[in-house]
Amino acid sequence: MPFERHEYKSLMDLLAVASLRAMDDAGLGDRPVDAVYVGNMASGLFNHQVSVASALVDRLSLMPATAERIENGPASGGSAIKNGFLAVAAGFADVVLVAGGEKMRGVSGPRSTDIVSAMAQPDVEYIYGVTLPALAGMFARLYMDKFRITPEHLAMVTIKNHNNGALNPYAHIQMIVTLEGILTHPQAKFNNPVVADPLRLYDCCPVSDGAAAVILTTEEIARQLKKPLVKIAGIGQATDTHALQERSDPTDLKAVSCAAERAFAMAGLTPKDVDVAELHDAFTILEIAESEHCGFFEKGEGARALAAGETQITGSLPINPSGGLKARGHPVGATGVAQVVELVWQLRGEAGKRQVKDPEVGFAVNFGGFGNNVVATVVRREG
Amino acid sequence: MIKKADLTAYKCRACGHVMYPRHDRCLNCNGREFDKIEPQGKARLLTYTILNELPWGIDERGRVIGIVEFENGVRATGLVLTEEPKVGMKLAATMQPVRVISGIKTYGLAFEPTK
Amino acid sequence: MDMELEAYLRPPEYPMPPYPAKVITLATGAKMVVRQAEREEVPELLEGVRPTLSVERDYYDIVGARLYAELLGWYRYRVRDEFCLVGQIDGFLVGIVNSRLYSPKLGISYHTLAIERGLRIGAHLFAAKMEHHIEFLGQDEVLITAESPIGFRRWMIEYGLEKRDGQHELGGATPYALTRELYFKAKDRLVAGERPVPPDVLEKATRSLKVASEEEILEKILGVRERPV
Repeated sequence: MPFERHEYKSLMDLLAVASLRAMDDAGLGDRPVDAVYVGNMASGLFNHQVSVASALVDRLSLMPATAERIENGPASGGSAIKNGFLAVAAGFADVVLVAGGEKMRGVSGPRSTDIVSAMAQPDVEYIYGVTLPALAGMFARLYMDKFRITPEHLAMVTIKNHNNGALNPYAHIQMIVTLEGILTHPQAKFNNPVVADPLRLYDCCPVSDGAAAVILTTEEIARQLKKPLVKIAGIGQATDTHALQERSDPTDLKAVSCAAERAFAMAGLTPKDVDVAELHDAFTILEIAESEHCGFFEKGEGARALAAGETQITGSLPINPSGGLKARGHPVGATGVAQVVELVWQLRGEAGKRQVKDPEVGFAVNFGGFGNNVVATVVRREG
Repeated sequence: MIKKADLTAYKCRACGHVMYPRHDRCLNCNGREFDKIEPQGKARLLTYTILNELPWGIDERGRVIGIVEFENGVRATGLVLTEEPKVGMKLAATMQPVRVISGIKTYGLAFEPTK
Repeated sequence: MDMELEAYLRPPEYPMPPYPAKVITLATGAKMVVRQAEREEVPELLEGVRPTLSVERDYYDIVGARLYAELLGWYRYRVRDEFCLVGQIDGFLVGIVNSRLYSPKLGISYHTLAIERGLRIGAHLFAAKMEHHIEFLGQDEVLITAESPIGFRRWMIEYGLEKRDGQHELGGATPYALTRELYFKAKDRLVAGERPVPPDVLEKATRSLKVASEEEILEKILGVRERPV
């Protein structure tokens, strides 16, 4: 489903539409789905509905498929894919539907900020009014200082991702912004006010509604379905301390590095093998930080690479050709699945105007909490 | 009704690692025995942000939130009561109302600049 | 028109200094001219407001309906001391704000309507309206309310508005006041714009007020577009 504000569709509507499209794209026909995993963070709070995986099975008449909702904050989508992958790899299920979705726009902005803040540590963070942007702001201050990243660098992430989003019919934000308008014009501050210093409005992803879905299956069945073979070559996941204050070095996103290493190890690949990446840019600083922690660039080189255009669609390592969370949008539970959907489209050559040239290996990072539970996925085109 | 944030920090008896908030096993050595300690001495500001996009329940813009390290190694998050925060500045901890949660006035760490 | 009869119902007019036009650079790099509208332009403005009457989302319908009445009232000399500012990009109308003066020192803010979304146009125009009340009309206080509670809460927090007793003209709602002091505290942060507007840009804006079609306006407000839905 395109990500945006879906006034008249419910969460279940969004999940159902995306799921059916995935099922049809896979050409499943009457072939049964054995297991359903739904990535969703907070349907209980946003939509007053729980057990949405069971509800989805019902909507799509997939009974008696097994079903669970998978929750991992903003990495719910990535974790849902991981669980679906495990089911197929273990031989527990042959055909798995993984859907991710979130409907956030039914509540007010301050309410949705507060719901998202529920992932902060309750006793030492939440009570102070800590929000996700607040954590990102505190992180950004240290990271920018340590690696000499400038507001200009952050704006470059915004501009690149908005440009990419404008090429993506599924992206929430379809608006090209200029460096002048958001940063360099003497009056740019009026367009781009501070959200959580040093992060400004255009450093933060929007609040979106949406859903995405994939079908995971065995190689044999994939061949029978006559679809291009895109394989989940590796999945890695790692955790870190809950409260940001307890990270030994708050600028060290250990869970990102570890998850990426594990994913590459399973895939038998290295960062150099990656042709296209979807990173979790809930805040512009995170795209730069993750590009370094995943091993694409040395620490301190990510901003330089961005400035040199290496991460553009036509660059040596395209990052977020979809527009990323910044422009594609971030319906929290949907993002991890949407990242993989984008990589599949890219690897199949179905990415339209934002197509990266002939990619074989794709990589995604889904950043849960504020970096305390991260899922990394490597996908690879076969044959 | 009021509620006070629990400031108890935990020092591992086996390896001396200091943790705040509570963990049931030591972050460093998995130990299970701890001495309860309180944050001691002045606090140094490690990082901060100034928050203008407010969550439900907070109505004043410009709230400064920071992470500090106390002289005895305890790290904490709290409000920083200054309009000119600087990384590295020295702060003294006080307990003040920080947020109303479900109608309950919650007291937590609020740091004031000190020499 | 029988001016003798008209005199029964036309309110007296307070001589209002004009609003000096300014230009604001938006996030997309586009330039928005903010200028005062002339009474004669009301029929065009009404065409811009009309499509909102059927949009329930975000309270557009009630804001549109009330704004329509206020503009028409101003046009027909049945509202006392009303002024209207418009925002234009490349001549196209993108937003309207209006207010009236209750007395030389007290203003009553009426409405803020943004047709383009996502560029803080509503915020910029509301700020311009307050700029006019306080800086050019020399008022001490402006009473404010709103139909949309979320939008209103933003203003309350951004400007630090003070609650007042009594009733606002808009449906008797609780009024909140922006005082001179509060305005100047917020000015640096919220009131954008550069003067003077380059003559050719201003000329383009004043020469013709272009209003998009109903379809286009609805598309902009509802955010509907060519999508793979």
